[in-house]
Amino acid sequence: MLRVALRGIRAHSVQFALSVLAVLLGVSFVAGTFSLRAMLSDTFGAIISTTVQGDAYLRGAEESASAPQIGQERGSRTRIPLGLAETVRSVDGVSLALPELGGPIVLVGADGTAVANGQAPSFGTGLDPRDPGATVVAGRLPAAAGEVALESATAQTSGLAVGDETKAVIAGVVTPVVVVGEVDLGAPSAGATLVFIDPATAQELYAPDGLVSSIVVYADEGVSEKDLVTSLSSALTAAGADVGPAGAQAVTGDQARAEATASVNDVLGFIGTFLLVFAGISLFVGAFIIANTFAMSVRQRQREFALLRAVGASPRQVFVSVIAQAAVVGLVGSALGLLAGIGLVAVLRAVLARMGMDLSGGIPIEPETVAISIATGTVVSIVAAAVPARRAAVIPPVEAMRDDVATEDRSLRVRAAAGSVSLVGGILAVFLATDDRVTSAGTWLGVGAAATLVGILLLAPAMVRVALAILAGPFVAMFRPLGRLARGNVTRNPRRTANTASALLVGMALVGATTVLAATAQASTRTIVESESTADFIVQSATRDVPPDAVAAITALGSVGRADVMSFAAAQVSGPDHSQPTGTTLAGITDGAFGATLDVVVIEGSVADLPGGVAVQRSTADAQGWAVGDILTVTTDTMTVELPVRAVIDSRILPAPLVLPASTLAELVPDVQRSINAVLVNAADGVDEETLRGDLTAAVAPFVVLSVQTNEELATSLADQVDRILVILYALLGLSIVIAVLGIVNTLALAVIERTREIGLLRAVGLGRVQLAGTITIESVLTALFGTVVGVTVGVALASALPFVFDDVGLSTLAVPWPQVIGMVVLAVVVGILAALWPGARAARLPVLQAIAQE
Amino acid sequence: MRIPSPRAFRRARTPDVPLEVRLEVPPVAESPGPEVIAWARGLVKVYGSGQTAVRALDGVDVDFGRAEMTAIMGPSGSGKSTLMHCMAGLDSVTSGNVTVDGEVVSRMRERALTTLRRTRLGFVFQAFNLVPTLTAEENITLPLDIARRPVDREYFDSVVDAVGLRDRLGHRPSELSGGQQQRVACARALVARPAVVFADEPTGNLDSRSSAEVLGFLRHSVDELGQSVVMVTHDPTAASYAHRVLFLADGRLVGELRSPTPAKILAALGQLTGATTKAGPATEADADTAGPGSERVAGTGS
Repeated sequence: MLRVALRGIRAHSVQFALSVLAVLLGVSFVAGTFSLRAMLSDTFGAIISTTVQGDAYLRGAEESASAPQIGQERGSRTRIPLGLAETVRSVDGVSLALPELGGPIVLVGADGTAVANGQAPSFGTGLDPRDPGATVVAGRLPAAAGEVALESATAQTSGLAVGDETKAVIAGVVTPVVVVGEVDLGAPSAGATLVFIDPATAQELYAPDGLVSSIVVYADEGVSEKDLVTSLSSALTAAGADVGPAGAQAVTGDQARAEATASVNDVLGFIGTFLLVFAGISLFVGAFIIANTFAMSVRQRQREFALLRAVGASPRQVFVSVIAQAAVVGLVGSALGLLAGIGLVAVLRAVLARMGMDLSGGIPIEPETVAISIATGTVVSIVAAAVPARRAAVIPPVEAMRDDVATEDRSLRVRAAAGSVSLVGGILAVFLATDDRVTSAGTWLGVGAAATLVGILLLAPAMVRVALAILAGPFVAMFRPLGRLARGNVTRNPRRTANTASALLVGMALVGATTVLAATAQASTRTIVESESTADFIVQSATRDVPPDAVAAITALGSVGRADVMSFAAAQVSGPDHSQPTGTTLAGITDGAFGATLDVVVIEGSVADLPGGVAVQRSTADAQGWAVGDILTVTTDTMTVELPVRAVIDSRILPAPLVLPASTLAELVPDVQRSINAVLVNAADGVDEETLRGDLTAAVAPFVVLSVQTNEELATSLADQVDRILVILYALLGLSIVIAVLGIVNTLALAVIERTREIGLLRAVGLGRVQLAGTITIESVLTALFGTVVGVTVGVALASALPFVFDDVGLSTLAVPWPQVIGMVVLAVVVGILAALWPGARAARLPVLQAIAQE
Repeated sequence: MRIPSPRAFRRARTPDVPLEVRLEVPPVAESPGPEVIAWARGLVKVYGSGQTAVRALDGVDVDFGRAEMTAIMGPSGSGKSTLMHCMAGLDSVTSGNVTVDGEVVSRMRERALTTLRRTRLGFVFQAFNLVPTLTAEENITLPLDIARRPVDREYFDSVVDAVGLRDRLGHRPSELSGGQQQRVACARALVARPAVVFADEPTGNLDSRSSAEVLGFLRHSVDELGQSVVMVTHDPTAASYAHRVLFLADGRLVGELRSPTPAKILAALGQLTGATTKAGPATEADADTAGPGSERVAGTGS
């Protein structure tokens, strides 16, 4: 029987080739995701092992109050006095102890702009000549202020060479620097811009308060990490440096490396999950194609199976033979997909390397990657083929021996009923999610959206007749009789049409939802910026932090009337009941900004008398039950204060639950832990906007990465950022659309084979080749339109619920981008035409007589 | 129109039943007159090449009369279907000349053939005659729709009434019986008023009652509407509806009968099978010596 199954594949290689292709695409994504992850993991592993080389580390004894500060690693623990390095240097077994001095830097490259690789960070590090981690490959190490050394990859991207003079913004201070050396870290930099300065300058700029995040300790020869930590710990205790707000603890180098690796893997895990979602979508979509291929090939080979049954094969044997074919398709597709996935990563790596992001040398092929890829592809194929295989197995020999292939129309009732339940449940869940009183609305929305989509997929065959009767109308009227023939073809087997269109349906639903989400985000941002900011100009930084020197420069301008600083920091807050404090973000606003440069909705109280108190966002106030007059306890690394709630506000431009006067925030949080996000500037009386813009631009120019924008320009640039993310999403979703197109090609090609006789008849009664190809094209376009129209409708409808669910995180203005939606429908037509090219040509080439005479 | 029952048909036309028939191939004119709607001269069709070459048609000269129903008969493999396919432009010819309604079919390209088929020819096949997704009415008007020609409602009505399908026009083929399906196919073949209707075993899948209806209708279209019909069949009863029956054996025309009856046809076929078993399959040498039109069926003289 196995031989029969394998021969079957060879005999119907075209049909199976398309299934293999579908598996290939899905699996290549899975394999690519895993090997990309492994490659990134290797890269960061190498970075960690070369940068975290110490035998022990001294660090803050406690988690910092500013721990939840998103995206900022520094301050995840309390900081320690750098003087501790001196203290432990005399401890037994210590050969070297160096404070780790580092922080943000902006390096001006040879072309006069800031050196940056996409979103990769820039680090400035004080490099002690005794530090064993770095090798000087050219020039020397920086020894004085105004000297820098560059990491090899940074030197390359920046276009700077030893001896070049440039500028750097180190910890917010614009400094003219000269490049004195090039340093190799022995690991890929992964795109980060790494600049080294002398330790004294680093200490001055990065640790002005004498506190550092950690101190690296190297052991004497023969001293184990454990022993070293033990002696360090007792030394710290003896010095009384292990307690208090700046208390330190000692950990082994191994633990530090393990913790660093774990945090890197957390991030990579997120990227991996994100990519796997798309891999899952493409495999899901691919499964439809595989199921369709097997359903059709089983139908066509009914007689073959009947013959096998007649000569004594058991239903089980027939079943196994079809499943065996699916397994072969799955294995071959997966193997090719694995190769394609690795190829994909190789291409990606080459592209990134060209853009200045060098990653680990080889692409690791891990056994798990191979196993997961092959297993996924094969299992998906087998599962998809199981239903058709069962049908093949239960064919009564006599039934299939009959002359014409019986079109068994199994009832769609069960499927439609299940679909209706899922759809109704999904819609209810979405409605539930839009209710303000419901907690975890996001989960409800996700579950509801998934159930709705599944419901639609189940209902699709039942919708085919009605939906296509409408969609096909124009075609029937315009192309007589081709439109009618095409309509007949797509509606004759609703299950098949629905399965074929399902792939596109899923892809288009996602694209539709993404498009609406993006448009809504853009529209919401615009509304927020334009309604809440009344400033003439907003100054922001590409690195997120506006240097205090820049604020000073702006404030000093004569043409500036007001320059209001918007700064953020993290803290622990508890309510009037002194409950367990929770980590939160504090926004600090210059006194008097409300009404001048900011216009926020005040629900309760007043923002005019904010000094000495706080304003609370409505969502937080509602959730915590706080009201005007309540006393909140705010704890930072350095102090604890009690502040009365003066106002409840509703603002999106201030993405923080608590808003304080900037002066209060400055008292609570040291400068290094506070970041200035934006400066809102109003012109002085009698100064026109253009003059102000000119002055501002000149004032911030030395800081390289600062931008001066009006509200309108800011909204546009934020929208551009959304667009940039959108491109990546579209590229990923594009894959599922490619697979969907393959699915249509597949179904059409098989349908042409299946309908050979009918095609012969049509040709005999005078249908021309072009007309025949036209019929198949219309058929293809109708299938594509069906998938797209239903998919886009579902996607847009579901995404329209977003503003009702995520109003409080800034998605407030629903925007449906109709041009894009129409564009998708046009795309569907194009997709349909493309998909019909090959099957159409194939059908047109069928010799009339052979088609008639075909069994 | 009422479709005549097969019995009435046969009773009217079969007074004498000779057991021996004289089969001969009458000579054909160099260029036939207006009484001939389609003809072939020196028609040769070879499938394959070299060792495996099969001469399906081996120099056939034949005329098909205008407003006449001609049946083509012969044993399996005699080339009767090939002859029809070549006449209808469904198959290319190896050599020779095929003319239908003044058009030289054998020289036409695919595009011209397509146009010819949809405007000048009608087809009825044994099975898979109808497009399953179209209604009976849509199937009938299909050739006109394809050619984007308007439907002559009056003629359409008369054809539909003649085949007795008035109340079935909105049905799909799957909702029609085999006989009804073939009648729809006949109506489709006629509705575009083609020069010739080619029918390939139109009753091959039908019971005798349905067969009689379909054949009676085809004959009616010839007698009443002046249609020309060429039909391939292996069924003597079916062939007896024709004005004239042509017999093929081994790719050559071996005889013809005018005003046939089932009995005459059976007798002729009996002689033919006897003859071919004796003579064996045709060889290249036979084909060379056989002058067109001069041949007689072996044993017809006895």
